Amino acid sequence: MRRHLSLFATATWYDLIEHGRNRFAMLLVVFFIPTWVGLVYLTIPDRATPFQLAATGERLAPAGNELTQITGALNAVTLVTGFMMFAATFTGGRFDRRLAMAGYPRTDLVLAKAASLILASALLAAYATAAMCIAWAPKQPYLLAAALFCAALTYGAMGVVMGSLLHREVEGMFALVMTSVIDIALQNPVVSAGADNPLTRLLPTYGSVQAATAAGFSTTPVPAYLSLQLLWFAATALLGLLAFHHRTRNALPRPGRPVTAESRDAAALETQRAPAAGQNSSPSSP
Amino acid sequence: MATLLTGLAGGGAVEVRGVYHAYRRRVVLRGVDFGLGPGVLAGIVGENGAGKTTLLKILAGELRADRGMVHHRGRFGYCPQEVVLNDALTVRQHLEFFKAAFALADLRHAEKVMETLRFSQYADVRAGALSGGTRQKLNLTLALMHDPQVLLLDEPYQGFDWDTYQRFWELAARLRDAGRSVLVVSHLAYDGERLDELWRLEAGTLRRETAGAA
Repeated sequence: MRRHLSLFATATWYDLIEHGRNRFAMLLVVFFIPTWVGLVYLTIPDRATPFQLAATGERLAPAGNELTQITGALNAVTLVTGFMMFAATFTGGRFDRRLAMAGYPRTDLVLAKAASLILASALLAAYATAAMCIAWAPKQPYLLAAALFCAALTYGAMGVVMGSLLHREVEGMFALVMTSVIDIALQNPVVSAGADNPLTRLLPTYGSVQAATAAGFSTTPVPAYLSLQLLWFAATALLGLLAFHHRTRNALPRPGRPVTAESRDAAALETQRAPAAGQNSSPSSP
Repeated sequence: MATLLTGLAGGGAVEVRGVYHAYRRRVVLRGVDFGLGPGVLAGIVGENGAGKTTLLKILAGELRADRGMVHHRGRFGYCPQEVVLNDALTVRQHLEFFKAAFALADLRHAEKVMETLRFSQYADVRAGALSGGTRQKLNLTLALMHDPQVLLLDEPYQGFDWDTYQRFWELAARLRDAGRSVLVVSHLAYDGERLDELWRLEAGTLRRETAGAA
Protein backbone atom coordinates (compact mmCIF):
# COMPACT_ATOMS: atom_id res chain seq x y z
CA MET A 1 0.00 0.00 0.00
CA ARG A 2 2.82 2.35 0.96
CA ARG A 3 4.64 1.48 -2.26
CA HIS A 4 1.50 2.24 -4.29
CA LEU A 5 1.05 5.54 -2.52
CA SER A 6 4.63 6.45 -3.30
CA LEU A 7 4.27 5.37 -6.95
CA PHE A 8 1.03 7.32 -7.24
CA ALA A 9 2.64 10.43 -5.74
CA THR A 10 5.66 10.14 -8.05
CA ALA A 11 3.54 9.71 -11.17
CA THR A 12 1.23 12.57 -10.15
CA TRP A 13 4.18 14.88 -9.53
CA TYR A 14 5.71 14.17 -12.94
CA ASP A 15 2.29 14.47 -14.57
CA LEU A 16 1.83 17.91 -13.04
CA ILE A 17 5.31 18.93 -14.15
CA GLU A 18 4.42 17.88 -17.68
CA HIS A 19 1.18 19.87 -17.65
CA GLY A 20 2.94 22.84 -16.12
CA ARG A 21 5.48 22.82 -18.94
CA ASN A 22 2.73 22.82 -21.54
CA ARG A 23 3.13 26.55 -22.03
CA PHE A 24 0.39 26.89 -24.58
CA ALA A 25 -2.12 25.34 -22.20
CA MET A 26 -0.87 27.62 -19.42
CA LEU A 27 -1.34 30.66 -21.66
CA LEU A 28 -4.83 29.49 -22.47
CA VAL A 29 -5.59 29.15 -18.79
CA VAL A 30 -4.24 32.53 -17.80
CA PHE A 31 -5.42 34.67 -20.71
CA PHE A 32 -8.02 32.84 -22.73
CA ILE A 33 -10.55 32.29 -19.96
CA PRO A 34 -10.79 35.90 -18.67
CA THR A 35 -10.51 37.29 -22.20
CA TRP A 36 -13.25 35.06 -23.52
CA VAL A 37 -15.71 35.60 -20.66
CA GLY A 38 -14.84 39.31 -20.55
CA LEU A 39 -15.41 39.85 -24.27
CA VAL A 40 -18.65 37.91 -24.17
CA TYR A 41 -19.91 40.09 -21.34
CA LEU A 42 -18.94 43.31 -23.11
CA THR A 43 -20.01 42.49 -26.67
CA ILE A 44 -23.19 40.41 -26.35
CA PRO A 45 -26.32 42.59 -25.86
CA ASP A 46 -27.66 42.57 -22.32
CA ARG A 47 -31.29 42.38 -23.33
CA ALA A 48 -33.35 39.74 -21.56
CA THR A 49 -33.49 36.28 -23.12
CA PRO A 50 -36.63 34.50 -21.95
CA PHE A 51 -36.55 30.71 -21.89
CA GLN A 52 -37.66 27.79 -19.79
CA LEU A 53 -34.91 26.06 -17.84
CA ALA A 54 -35.53 22.31 -17.94
CA ALA A 55 -33.54 21.70 -14.75
CA THR A 56 -35.87 23.75 -12.50
CA GLY A 57 -38.95 24.15 -14.69
CA GLU A 58 -38.72 27.91 -14.14
CA ARG A 59 -39.30 30.53 -16.79
CA LEU A 60 -36.18 32.70 -16.70
CA ALA A 61 -35.23 35.88 -18.50
CA PRO A 62 -31.55 36.53 -17.77
CA ALA A 63 -29.44 39.13 -19.53
CA GLY A 64 -28.11 37.71 -22.81
CA ASN A 65 -24.51 38.59 -22.03
CA GLU A 66 -24.64 36.91 -18.60
CA LEU A 67 -26.19 33.78 -20.06
CA THR A 68 -23.63 33.65 -22.85
CA GLN A 69 -20.85 34.21 -20.36
CA ILE A 70 -21.85 30.96 -18.68
CA THR A 71 -21.77 28.98 -21.92
CA GLY A 72 -18.57 30.82 -22.89
CA ALA A 73 -16.92 29.78 -19.62
CA LEU A 74 -18.05 26.19 -20.16
CA ASN A 75 -16.63 26.33 -23.66
CA ALA A 76 -13.32 27.69 -22.35
CA VAL A 77 -12.76 25.24 -19.50
CA THR A 78 -13.74 22.25 -21.60
CA LEU A 79 -11.35 23.27 -24.36
CA VAL A 80 -8.47 23.83 -21.96
CA THR A 81 -8.77 20.51 -20.11
CA GLY A 82 -9.56 18.68 -23.34
CA PHE A 83 -6.46 20.15 -24.97
CA MET A 84 -4.23 19.50 -21.94
CA MET A 85 -5.21 15.87 -21.63
CA PHE A 86 -5.17 15.30 -25.37
CA ALA A 87 -1.66 16.73 -25.67
CA ALA A 88 -0.37 14.70 -22.71
CA THR A 89 -1.96 11.48 -24.00
CA PHE A 90 -0.99 12.01 -27.62
CA THR A 91 2.66 12.74 -26.94
CA GLY A 92 3.06 10.53 -23.88
CA GLY A 93 1.44 7.30 -25.03
CA ARG A 94 4.67 5.44 -25.81
CA PHE A 95 6.35 6.81 -22.70
CA ASP A 96 3.50 5.51 -20.53
CA ARG A 97 3.85 2.17 -22.21
CA ARG A 98 7.57 2.09 -21.59
CA LEU A 99 6.97 2.87 -17.92
CA ALA A 100 4.28 0.21 -17.66
CA MET A 101 6.50 -2.38 -19.31
CA ALA A 102 9.32 -1.44 -16.96
CA GLY A 103 7.05 -2.44 -14.12
CA TYR A 104 5.22 0.77 -13.20
CA PRO A 105 1.73 -0.30 -12.12
CA ARG A 106 -0.75 0.97 -14.66
CA THR A 107 -3.28 1.64 -11.91
CA ASP A 108 -0.93 4.18 -10.36
CA LEU A 109 -0.28 5.80 -13.72
CA VAL A 110 -4.01 6.09 -14.40
CA LEU A 111 -4.79 7.38 -10.92
CA ALA A 112 -2.05 9.97 -11.31
CA LYS A 113 -3.59 11.18 -14.55
CA ALA A 114 -7.00 11.32 -12.91
CA ALA A 115 -5.56 13.30 -10.00
CA SER A 116 -3.94 15.81 -12.37
CA LEU A 117 -7.18 16.17 -14.29
CA ILE A 118 -9.20 16.69 -11.10
CA LEU A 119 -6.74 19.29 -9.85
CA ALA A 120 -6.59 21.12 -13.18
CA SER A 121 -10.38 21.07 -13.53
CA ALA A 122 -10.87 22.40 -10.00
CA LEU A 123 -8.44 25.27 -10.56
CA LEU A 124 -9.97 26.13 -13.92
CA ALA A 125 -13.51 26.03 -12.57
CA ALA A 126 -12.59 28.28 -9.65
CA TYR A 127 -10.71 30.68 -11.92
CA ALA A 128 -13.53 30.93 -14.48
CA THR A 129 -16.13 31.38 -11.75
CA ALA A 130 -14.07 34.15 -10.17
CA ALA A 131 -13.69 35.83 -13.58
CA MET A 132 -17.47 35.81 -14.03
CA CYS A 133 -18.13 37.06 -10.52
CA ILE A 134 -16.20 40.22 -11.38
CA ALA A 135 -18.91 41.16 -13.89
CA TRP A 136 -22.08 40.03 -12.11
CA ALA A 137 -23.28 37.97 -9.17
CA PRO A 138 -24.43 34.43 -9.95
CA LYS A 139 -27.07 33.25 -7.48
CA GLN A 140 -25.21 30.02 -6.61
CA PRO A 141 -21.50 30.57 -7.33
CA TYR A 142 -20.43 27.24 -5.79
CA LEU A 143 -22.89 25.35 -7.95
CA LEU A 144 -21.61 27.30 -10.95
CA ALA A 145 -18.03 26.25 -10.13
CA ALA A 146 -19.17 22.66 -9.63
CA ALA A 147 -20.90 22.63 -13.03
CA LEU A 148 -17.79 24.00 -14.72
CA PHE A 149 -15.67 21.45 -12.85
CA CYS A 150 -17.77 18.51 -14.02
CA ALA A 151 -17.76 19.72 -17.63
CA ALA A 152 -13.98 20.22 -17.51
CA LEU A 153 -13.55 16.68 -16.17
CA THR A 154 -15.68 15.27 -18.97
CA TYR A 155 -13.72 16.98 -21.71
CA GLY A 156 -10.43 16.05 -20.04
CA ALA A 157 -11.44 12.40 -20.26
CA MET A 158 -12.57 13.02 -23.83
CA GLY A 159 -9.09 14.41 -24.54
CA VAL A 160 -7.58 11.14 -23.27
CA VAL A 161 -9.86 9.12 -25.56
CA MET A 162 -9.04 11.27 -28.59
CA GLY A 163 -5.34 11.30 -27.74
CA SER A 164 -5.40 7.50 -27.70
CA LEU A 165 -7.41 6.99 -30.87
CA LEU A 166 -6.44 9.75 -33.28
CA HIS A 167 -3.23 9.64 -35.25
CA ARG A 168 -2.50 13.30 -35.87
CA GLU A 169 -2.37 16.20 -33.46
CA VAL A 170 -4.40 18.48 -35.69
CA GLU A 171 -7.19 15.89 -35.86
CA GLY A 172 -7.50 15.93 -32.09
CA MET A 173 -7.46 19.71 -31.84
CA PHE A 174 -10.12 20.03 -34.52
CA ALA A 175 -12.27 17.28 -33.02
CA LEU A 176 -12.13 18.85 -29.55
CA VAL A 177 -12.88 22.38 -30.72
CA MET A 178 -15.76 21.31 -32.94
CA THR A 179 -17.24 19.02 -30.29
CA SER A 180 -17.14 21.74 -27.66
CA VAL A 181 -18.53 24.42 -29.98
CA ILE A 182 -21.39 22.28 -31.27
CA ASP A 183 -22.12 20.85 -27.83
CA ILE A 184 -22.34 24.15 -26.01
CA ALA A 185 -23.57 26.55 -28.73
CA LEU A 186 -26.59 24.37 -29.42
CA GLN A 187 -27.66 24.72 -25.79
CA ASN A 188 -27.42 28.52 -25.61
CA PRO A 189 -30.84 30.13 -26.09
CA VAL A 190 -29.17 33.35 -27.27
CA VAL A 191 -27.66 31.73 -30.34
CA SER A 192 -29.82 28.65 -30.79
CA ALA A 193 -33.61 28.72 -31.16
CA GLY A 194 -33.53 24.98 -30.60
CA ALA A 195 -31.83 25.14 -27.19
CA ASP A 196 -34.80 23.39 -25.58
CA ASN A 197 -34.99 20.69 -28.25
CA PRO A 198 -35.07 17.23 -26.58
CA LEU A 199 -32.03 16.25 -28.63
CA THR A 200 -29.87 18.68 -26.66
CA ARG A 201 -30.31 16.37 -23.66
CA LEU A 202 -27.98 13.95 -25.38
CA LEU A 203 -25.15 16.46 -25.64
CA PRO A 204 -22.04 15.83 -23.48
CA THR A 205 -22.37 18.95 -21.33
CA TYR A 206 -26.15 19.04 -21.02
CA GLY A 207 -25.96 18.38 -17.27
CA SER A 208 -23.41 21.12 -16.71
CA VAL A 209 -25.19 23.68 -18.90
CA GLN A 210 -28.42 23.10 -17.00
CA ALA A 211 -26.69 23.19 -13.61
CA ALA A 212 -24.61 26.27 -14.47
CA THR A 213 -27.64 28.14 -15.80
CA ALA A 214 -29.59 27.29 -12.66
CA ALA A 215 -26.58 28.44 -10.62
CA GLY A 216 -26.55 31.75 -12.43
CA PHE A 217 -30.19 32.72 -12.34
CA SER A 218 -32.08 30.51 -9.89
CA THR A 219 -31.81 29.53 -6.25
CA THR A 220 -33.05 25.99 -6.85
CA PRO A 221 -30.41 23.28 -6.31
CA VAL A 222 -30.09 20.81 -9.18
CA PRO A 223 -28.03 17.84 -7.96
CA ALA A 224 -29.53 15.51 -10.57
CA TYR A 225 -27.95 17.53 -13.39
CA LEU A 226 -24.54 17.54 -11.76
CA SER A 227 -24.93 13.79 -11.35
CA LEU A 228 -25.84 13.49 -15.03
CA GLN A 229 -22.64 15.33 -15.91
CA LEU A 230 -20.63 13.08 -13.62
CA LEU A 231 -22.21 10.12 -15.40
CA TRP A 232 -20.93 11.51 -18.69
CA PHE A 233 -17.52 11.87 -17.09
CA ALA A 234 -17.61 8.31 -15.79
CA ALA A 235 -18.59 6.94 -19.20
CA THR A 236 -15.93 8.95 -21.02
CA ALA A 237 -13.32 8.10 -18.38
CA LEU A 238 -14.15 4.42 -18.83
CA LEU A 239 -13.48 4.75 -22.56
CA GLY A 240 -10.23 6.55 -21.76
CA LEU A 241 -9.29 3.80 -19.32
CA LEU A 242 -9.90 1.10 -21.92
CA ALA A 243 -7.86 3.04 -24.47
CA PHE A 244 -5.02 3.47 -21.95
CA HIS A 245 -5.17 -0.20 -21.00
CA HIS A 246 -4.99 -1.21 -24.65
CA ARG A 247 -2.10 1.12 -25.43
CA THR A 248 0.01 0.09 -22.48
CA ARG A 249 -0.63 -3.65 -22.68
CA ASN A 250 2.24 -6.06 -22.57
CA ALA A 251 2.00 -8.75 -25.24
CA LEU A 252 4.01 -11.09 -23.03
CA PRO A 253 1.96 -13.03 -20.49
CA ARG A 254 2.47 -12.58 -16.78
CA PRO A 255 5.33 -14.33 -15.02
CA GLY A 256 4.66 -17.85 -13.95
CA ARG A 257 2.47 -18.78 -16.87
CA PRO A 258 3.53 -22.23 -17.98
CA VAL A 259 5.04 -22.62 -21.41
CA THR A 260 3.77 -25.69 -23.18
CA ALA A 261 4.32 -27.06 -26.62
CA GLU A 262 0.61 -27.72 -27.04
CA SER A 263 -0.35 -24.12 -26.68
CA ARG A 264 1.54 -23.30 -29.86
CA ASP A 265 -1.27 -24.98 -31.70
CA ALA A 266 -3.61 -22.32 -30.47
CA ALA A 267 -1.93 -19.95 -32.92
CA ALA A 268 -1.15 -17.66 -30.06
CA LEU A 269 2.14 -16.36 -28.91
CA GLU A 270 3.43 -18.45 -26.07
CA THR A 271 5.78 -16.63 -23.84
CA GLN A 272 7.02 -16.48 -20.35
CA ARG A 273 7.79 -13.04 -19.17
CA ALA A 274 11.06 -12.34 -17.55
CA PRO A 275 10.68 -12.24 -13.80
CA ALA A 276 10.70 -8.78 -14.40
CA ALA A 277 11.40 -5.57 -14.55
CA GLY A 278 10.44 -4.99 -11.00
CA GLN A 279 13.49 -6.71 -9.61
CA ASN A 280 16.87 -5.36 -8.93
CA SER A 281 20.07 -7.18 -8.58
CA SER A 282 23.46 -5.93 -7.70
CA PRO A 283 24.71 -4.08 -10.70
CA SER A 284 27.51 -5.48 -12.71
CA SER A 285 29.97 -3.17 -14.25
CA PRO A 286 28.59 -2.13 -17.58
CA MET B 1 10.65 -27.78 -26.87
CA ALA B 2 12.00 -29.58 -23.82
CA THR B 3 15.51 -29.35 -25.21
CA LEU B 4 15.15 -25.67 -25.75
CA LEU B 5 13.97 -24.96 -22.26
CA THR B 6 16.73 -27.07 -20.74
CA GLY B 7 19.24 -25.09 -22.73
CA LEU B 8 18.03 -21.93 -21.11
CA ALA B 9 18.46 -23.06 -17.56
CA GLY B 10 20.53 -20.94 -15.25
CA GLY B 11 21.06 -17.71 -17.16
CA GLY B 12 19.53 -14.92 -19.15
CA ALA B 13 18.36 -16.01 -22.56
CA VAL B 14 15.77 -15.70 -25.26
CA GLU B 15 14.34 -18.48 -27.38
CA VAL B 16 12.14 -17.86 -30.39
CA ARG B 17 10.39 -20.59 -32.34
CA GLY B 18 8.22 -20.33 -35.45
CA VAL B 19 7.26 -16.68 -35.05
CA TYR B 20 4.99 -15.33 -37.76
CA HIS B 21 3.72 -11.81 -38.10
CA ALA B 22 1.83 -9.89 -40.74
CA TYR B 23 0.55 -6.34 -41.05
CA ARG B 24 -2.75 -7.10 -42.71
CA ARG B 25 -1.79 -8.89 -45.93
CA ARG B 26 1.89 -7.98 -45.78
CA VAL B 27 3.66 -10.88 -44.14
CA VAL B 28 6.81 -9.69 -42.39
CA LEU B 29 7.98 -12.69 -40.38
CA ARG B 30 7.55 -16.18 -41.80
CA GLY B 31 8.59 -18.56 -39.06
CA VAL B 32 11.54 -17.03 -37.25
CA ASP B 33 13.64 -19.41 -35.16
CA PHE B 34 16.34 -17.96 -32.97
CA GLY B 35 18.13 -18.55 -29.70
CA LEU B 36 20.27 -16.28 -27.56
CA GLY B 37 22.21 -17.80 -24.73
CA PRO B 38 23.81 -16.19 -21.68
CA GLY B 39 27.06 -14.33 -22.24
CA VAL B 40 26.44 -13.86 -25.96
CA LEU B 41 26.61 -10.67 -27.99
CA ALA B 42 24.51 -11.23 -31.07
CA GLY B 43 23.42 -9.04 -33.93
CA ILE B 44 20.53 -9.14 -36.34
CA VAL B 45 21.00 -7.34 -39.62
CA GLY B 46 18.74 -6.92 -42.59
CA GLU B 47 17.60 -4.39 -45.11
CA ASN B 48 15.15 -1.60 -44.34
CA GLY B 49 11.69 -3.08 -43.93
CA ALA B 50 13.01 -6.61 -43.43
CA GLY B 51 11.12 -6.87 -40.12
CA LYS B 52 13.95 -6.38 -37.61
CA THR B 53 12.05 -3.86 -35.50
CA THR B 54 8.89 -5.98 -35.69
CA LEU B 55 10.84 -8.96 -34.40
CA LEU B 56 12.37 -6.97 -31.56
CA LYS B 57 8.98 -5.50 -30.61
CA ILE B 58 7.65 -9.04 -30.38
CA LEU B 59 10.61 -10.11 -28.23
CA ALA B 60 10.08 -7.11 -25.96
CA GLY B 61 6.33 -7.63 -25.62
CA GLU B 62 5.35 -4.48 -27.48
CA LEU B 63 3.72 -6.48 -30.22
CA ARG B 64 1.90 -9.79 -30.23
CA ALA B 65 3.03 -12.27 -32.84
CA ASP B 66 0.37 -13.89 -34.97
CA ARG B 67 1.87 -17.29 -34.25
CA GLY B 68 4.90 -18.81 -32.58
CA MET B 69 6.68 -18.94 -29.27
CA VAL B 70 8.92 -16.51 -27.46
CA HIS B 71 10.59 -17.49 -24.23
CA HIS B 72 12.52 -15.16 -21.95
CA ARG B 73 14.53 -15.94 -18.93
CA GLY B 74 15.81 -13.19 -16.68
CA ARG B 75 15.15 -9.47 -16.45
CA PHE B 76 15.25 -7.81 -19.80
CA GLY B 77 15.89 -4.31 -20.98
CA TYR B 78 14.59 -2.97 -24.26
CA CYS B 79 15.92 0.05 -26.10
CA PRO B 80 13.42 0.95 -28.83
CA GLN B 81 14.60 2.26 -32.18
CA GLU B 82 12.58 5.43 -31.81
CA VAL B 83 13.62 7.43 -28.76
CA VAL B 84 10.85 7.16 -26.15
CA LEU B 85 11.23 9.97 -23.63
CA ASN B 86 9.11 12.63 -22.02
CA ASP B 87 10.32 15.98 -23.35
CA ALA B 88 8.98 17.85 -20.32
CA LEU B 89 11.13 15.92 -17.82
CA THR B 90 14.84 16.31 -17.13
CA VAL B 91 17.33 13.47 -17.46
CA ARG B 92 17.37 13.06 -13.68
CA GLN B 93 13.57 13.00 -13.52
CA HIS B 94 13.54 10.25 -16.15
CA LEU B 95 15.94 8.22 -14.05
CA GLU B 96 13.91 8.77 -10.88
CA PHE B 97 10.69 7.83 -12.69
CA PHE B 98 12.18 4.59 -14.00
CA LYS B 99 13.89 3.90 -10.69
CA ALA B 100 10.38 3.75 -9.24
CA ALA B 101 9.20 1.57 -12.14
CA PHE B 102 12.06 -0.93 -11.75
CA ALA B 103 11.82 -0.72 -7.93
CA LEU B 104 15.53 0.06 -7.69
CA ALA B 105 17.12 0.98 -4.41
CA ASP B 106 19.37 3.59 -5.97
CA LEU B 107 20.65 4.98 -9.25
CA ARG B 108 24.26 3.82 -8.97
CA HIS B 109 24.06 1.56 -11.98
CA ALA B 110 22.32 4.24 -14.07
CA GLU B 111 25.01 6.72 -13.09
CA LYS B 112 27.72 4.30 -14.20
CA VAL B 113 26.05 3.93 -17.57
CA MET B 114 25.77 7.71 -17.87
CA GLU B 115 29.46 8.07 -17.08
CA THR B 116 30.36 5.45 -19.65
CA LEU B 117 28.27 7.23 -22.28
CA ARG B 118 29.54 10.58 -20.98
CA PHE B 119 26.41 12.58 -20.52
CA SER B 120 26.24 12.95 -16.73
CA GLN B 121 26.56 16.72 -17.13
CA TYR B 122 23.08 16.84 -18.69
CA ALA B 123 21.32 15.46 -15.61
CA ASP B 124 19.28 18.60 -15.07
CA VAL B 125 18.48 19.33 -18.70
CA ARG B 126 15.01 18.62 -20.03
CA ALA B 127 14.86 15.81 -22.59
CA GLY B 128 13.23 18.17 -25.08
CA ALA B 129 16.32 20.40 -25.00
CA LEU B 130 18.88 17.60 -25.53
CA SER B 131 20.64 16.92 -28.81
CA GLY B 132 19.60 13.85 -30.82
CA GLY B 133 22.68 11.90 -29.71
CA THR B 134 22.19 12.71 -26.03
CA ARG B 135 18.52 11.76 -26.25
CA GLN B 136 19.61 8.42 -27.64
CA LYS B 137 22.07 8.01 -24.76
CA LEU B 138 19.23 8.56 -22.29
CA ASN B 139 17.03 6.18 -24.27
CA LEU B 140 19.74 3.53 -23.94
CA THR B 141 20.36 4.28 -20.26
CA LEU B 142 16.69 3.66 -19.46
CA ALA B 143 17.07 0.21 -20.99
CA LEU B 144 20.23 -0.57 -19.01
CA MET B 145 19.68 1.08 -15.65
CA HIS B 146 18.21 -1.99 -13.92
CA ASP B 147 21.12 -4.19 -15.00
CA PRO B 148 19.05 -6.53 -17.17
CA GLN B 149 20.17 -10.06 -17.93
CA VAL B 150 18.80 -9.90 -21.47
CA LEU B 151 19.26 -6.76 -23.53
CA LEU B 152 17.27 -6.05 -26.66
CA LEU B 153 18.70 -3.05 -28.47
CA ASP B 154 17.16 -1.72 -31.68
CA GLU B 155 19.73 0.39 -33.52
CA PRO B 156 20.85 1.83 -30.18
CA TYR B 157 23.67 3.98 -31.54
CA GLN B 158 21.71 6.16 -33.94
CA GLY B 159 22.95 9.73 -33.64
CA PHE B 160 26.08 8.77 -31.67
CA ASP B 161 29.37 10.36 -32.59
CA TRP B 162 32.31 8.05 -33.31
CA ASP B 163 33.68 8.07 -29.76
CA THR B 164 30.30 7.30 -28.23
CA TYR B 165 29.75 4.61 -30.84
CA GLN B 166 33.01 2.98 -29.79
CA ARG B 167 32.09 3.30 -26.12
CA PHE B 168 28.75 1.69 -26.83
CA TRP B 169 30.47 -1.39 -28.23
CA GLU B 170 32.88 -1.51 -25.28
CA LEU B 171 29.87 -1.37 -22.99
CA ALA B 172 28.11 -4.14 -24.95
CA ALA B 173 31.24 -6.31 -24.76
CA ARG B 174 31.56 -5.77 -21.00
CA LEU B 175 27.93 -6.72 -20.51
CA ARG B 176 28.49 -9.86 -22.54
CA ASP B 177 31.59 -10.67 -20.48
CA ALA B 178 29.50 -10.26 -17.32
CA GLY B 179 27.19 -13.00 -18.60
CA ARG B 180 24.45 -10.85 -20.05
CA SER B 181 22.72 -11.76 -23.31
CA VAL B 182 22.88 -8.83 -25.70
CA LEU B 183 20.96 -8.63 -28.95
CA VAL B 184 21.65 -5.67 -31.21
CA VAL B 185 19.52 -4.98 -34.25
CA SER B 186 21.01 -2.95 -37.06
CA HIS B 187 20.50 -2.36 -40.75
CA LEU B 188 24.28 -2.18 -41.06
CA ALA B 189 26.57 -5.18 -41.05
CA TYR B 190 29.74 -3.21 -40.35
CA ASP B 191 29.80 -4.35 -36.76
CA GLY B 192 29.99 -8.04 -37.60
CA GLU B 193 33.46 -8.51 -36.16
CA ARG B 194 32.33 -7.22 -32.77
CA LEU B 195 29.65 -9.89 -32.48
CA ASP B 196 29.70 -13.48 -31.30
CA GLU B 197 26.80 -14.32 -33.55
CA LEU B 198 25.43 -12.60 -36.60
CA TRP B 199 21.98 -13.29 -37.96
CA ARG B 200 20.45 -11.97 -41.15
CA LEU B 201 16.73 -11.38 -41.46
CA GLU B 202 15.72 -11.93 -45.03
CA ALA B 203 12.43 -12.86 -46.67
CA GLY B 204 10.84 -13.13 -43.24
CA THR B 205 13.25 -15.72 -41.83
CA LEU B 206 16.47 -15.54 -39.84
CA ARG B 207 19.63 -17.08 -41.22
CA ARG B 208 22.81 -17.43 -39.18
CA GLU B 209 25.91 -15.95 -40.72
CA THR B 210 29.45 -16.28 -39.51
CA ALA B 211 30.23 -13.42 -37.17
CA GLY B 212 32.87 -11.12 -38.58
CA ALA B 213 32.23 -12.17 -42.16
CA ALA B 214 29.47 -9.70 -42.99
